[in-house]
Amino acid sequence: MDLQNLNPSSLKSRFTARFLRALTEINAPKTISSSSPREIFQRYRRIKVAADKSMAYSVRSRRIWSRATLWRLRTRSRSRRLVSFGRRASVKTRTTASHGKENKEHHGAVLGVQAEELRELVPGGEAMDLCNLLDETAHYIKCLTTQGFCVYMGGLLCEGCC
Amino acid sequence: MTSENDDMGLAMSSISMFNKSSNTSDSFFSSCWDPIVSQSGSLGGSSMASHYHLVMENQGISGTSHVSHYQSDPSFVELVSKLTGFDGGNLSQMVGPFSLPQCNQVANGNERGSTNSLRFLDEHRISKEALVGTSPNGKIRKCAPESGSPLRSCKNGDEEPVMDLSSEGCDGPREQARKKPETEQNTGANSRGKQAVKQDKDSSQSEEAPKENYIHVRARRGQATNSHSLAERVRREKISERMRLLQELVPGCNKITGKAVMLDEIINYVQSLQQQVEFLSMKLATVNPEINLDLDRILSKDILHQRSGSAAVLGLGPGSNSPYGFSPSTFPGTISGIPNKNPQFPPLPQTVLENELLNLFQMGFSGSTMDGFGLNGQLKPEM
Repeated sequence: MDLQNLNPSSLKSRFTARFLRALTEINAPKTISSSSPREIFQRYRRIKVAADKSMAYSVRSRRIWSRATLWRLRTRSRSRRLVSFGRRASVKTRTTASHGKENKEHHGAVLGVQAEELRELVPGGEAMDLCNLLDETAHYIKCLTTQGFCVYMGGLLCEGCC
Repeated sequence: MTSENDDMGLAMSSISMFNKSSNTSDSFFSSCWDPIVSQSGSLGGSSMASHYHLVMENQGISGTSHVSHYQSDPSFVELVSKLTGFDGGNLSQMVGPFSLPQCNQVANGNERGSTNSLRFLDEHRISKEALVGTSPNGKIRKCAPESGSPLRSCKNGDEEPVMDLSSEGCDGPREQARKKPETEQNTGANSRGKQAVKQDKDSSQSEEAPKENYIHVRARRGQATNSHSLAERVRREKISERMRLLQELVPGCNKITGKAVMLDEIINYVQSLQQQVEFLSMKLATVNPEINLDLDRILSKDILHQRSGSAAVLGLGPGSNSPYGFSPSTFPGTISGIPNKNPQFPPLPQTVLENELLNLFQMGFSGSTMDGFGLNGQLKPEM
């Protein structure tokens, strides 16, 4: 067995701990009958947000994409309550997007179209040049696989237990 | 002579220019410059070059009348100061005939060199050295090209052969320091031609890298020595290095050559991973109101003890052909309501990776046999 798996401060353990905590919070107030599609959908959304948030928190601010994810989640939660925050948030994303486009033109990337797509996929990728973008993508891929793995295993075990 | 210098693999056109004009001192000059030229590309210790220059001046070496002619040229000082890349040992080779052992100590560091330089420098040379040579953090080197413009003018239109590639000016020392180790390795690995000796010196020079915080790039043989093209080359090498790393991360991309196709694969992979997380969270949403705290501990233990080869688990390798046939159709944009407990997820768009992901989901969610999993057999079969 890898020592990494038993490392208490590895990405997987950090993510799993946070995710499970969030999961219990989500499922705590539920009653028994909760099979309506809307409730399931709501729970799905909350679980997805919890997964993303736990992953971003496990990475802290060390990465651009994690900072962007956390910022996005925070502004979205705020914008639901206060409309003005949402307006400010959209302005900010516009400025970062335009800045990213300037960077792209300046560097004259040959792979402009795909780089643009990748920027849309990776959170916070709009304001990065190709070099950093590839870096962030590598770390993002690694974290996404960990996230999927843990959520999957959690789901399997829950299904096995209920 | 010039052919020799070309064979050295350096775009040191300035040296060739100096060599052309001297006949008698040709052999001396080239032999003297050879050890210098054969050394690595890092420009640490400019003070040593000035020392060398001054040494030659002071000792009055025979046959260096041409050299003395160039000494008076201020541009020569700049050039000489740029050409150095001496270890202590190599410097001893060079200054052997000149019997200046103090130079060896100078080679070890910029700041130390500045103190040593005071031993045998004249006053006006010190001032010049302060200009061209050391600064507390070596940042003045980037500003040197500005003073080196007369140098460029006196060459045959060729630019600086060796360039200090700090990022856009003297500011941003942190970025330079960060980029420095990577580029040092890159440039060390990228020197080719008859530079096998040089590569050893490169690796030994890279140990001195932490003392400097700018990037050295050496022009390769037969390539433009324009500062812009050098910067472009460094950038391109960084990007290709990152692409190689990504190629290892994304499964099944070993045979792909070419950035465009590789990027397409990466994009597909990231999309599949994101969709996978969505699917799994949807599954969790339908399944588990009954989770409780004891289960937490069990879950964390089990999850953490599984092998971390998630790619293997998720069957994304090429070998996991599933017995479950299905017809992929277009994926609806959002997941609408799911009626039953074991949801049939809508199939994914048609890529190989996503087909295999979906196979895995179907295998897992329908609760059938677990033989398809690439696990160690530690997973309990579902009830």
